[in-house]
Amino acid sequence: MKLPPMILNLKVASPHRRPVHLWLPLFLLWPFALLLGGLALGVALVADGVLVLRGRRYHHYTVLLARSFAALGETRGTVIRFSNEKTAVDMTVR
Amino acid sequence: MSEDRSRILDLLAGGKITAEEAERLLDALDARKGAAAAPAGPAIQGDPGPLIAALPKYLYVKVLAANGDNVDVKIPIVLVRSGLKLTSLIPPLAMDKINDTMSEHGMSVDFNNFKPEDIDELIGGLRDMEVNVDAKNGDTVRVYCA
Repeated sequence: MKLPPMILNLKVASPHRRPVHLWLPLFLLWPFALLLGGLALGVALVADGVLVLRGRRYHHYTVLLARSFAALGETRGTVIRFSNEKTAVDMTVR
Repeated sequence: MSEDRSRILDLLAGGKITAEEAERLLDALDARKGAAAAPAGPAIQGDPGPLIAALPKYLYVKVLAANGDNVDVKIPIVLVRSGLKLTSLIPPLAMDKINDTMSEHGMSVDFNNFKPEDIDELIGGLRDMEVNVDAKNGDTVRVYCA
């Protein structure tokens, strides 16, 4: 499993303005994400436990949460570029 | 003689299955035993480097609009795979809503039928996929993997 994205590079350029290059340190959000993820994991575990005890077929909230977190890590390497006559935007997730 | 084999022969002797059916069952039993007896080792022999290098790494979507708007998106294939695999874990009620909404927008894809092996096959097939759209108004869309 990969780590969540660390940096978001954002470049915005327009013909009549100074280009903006933002380097957003996403890793600073990790502690909050970890806290929220921990809470969500607890809730999911309880929900799945209740669903199993009730004999429901669907009891995969914990797995869903774990896979979602894994998918977040896979976003590294995503590049989105948009440009027109006025603006050019370049966003890279690292 | 194994228990399975004797059971098949009993069924044949009892007239519950035909000789052809018994032959098919025995063949299937032999095949299963052969597979089970295969040495446990890596599925890929030798250096897997070239095989891995041949797999696509990114899904590219390039849109060139006639009015000058250009969009260029590069998505890691692993993200596509993870996203598709997530669909098998979405709660049924939410999945029904997703299917209904997609159907309303002209995309009749039933994600309930998606299985992990289908997703792997789909991702494998992306290597040869290339979508080129040239609209009348001059817009072009290209989707491919590399």
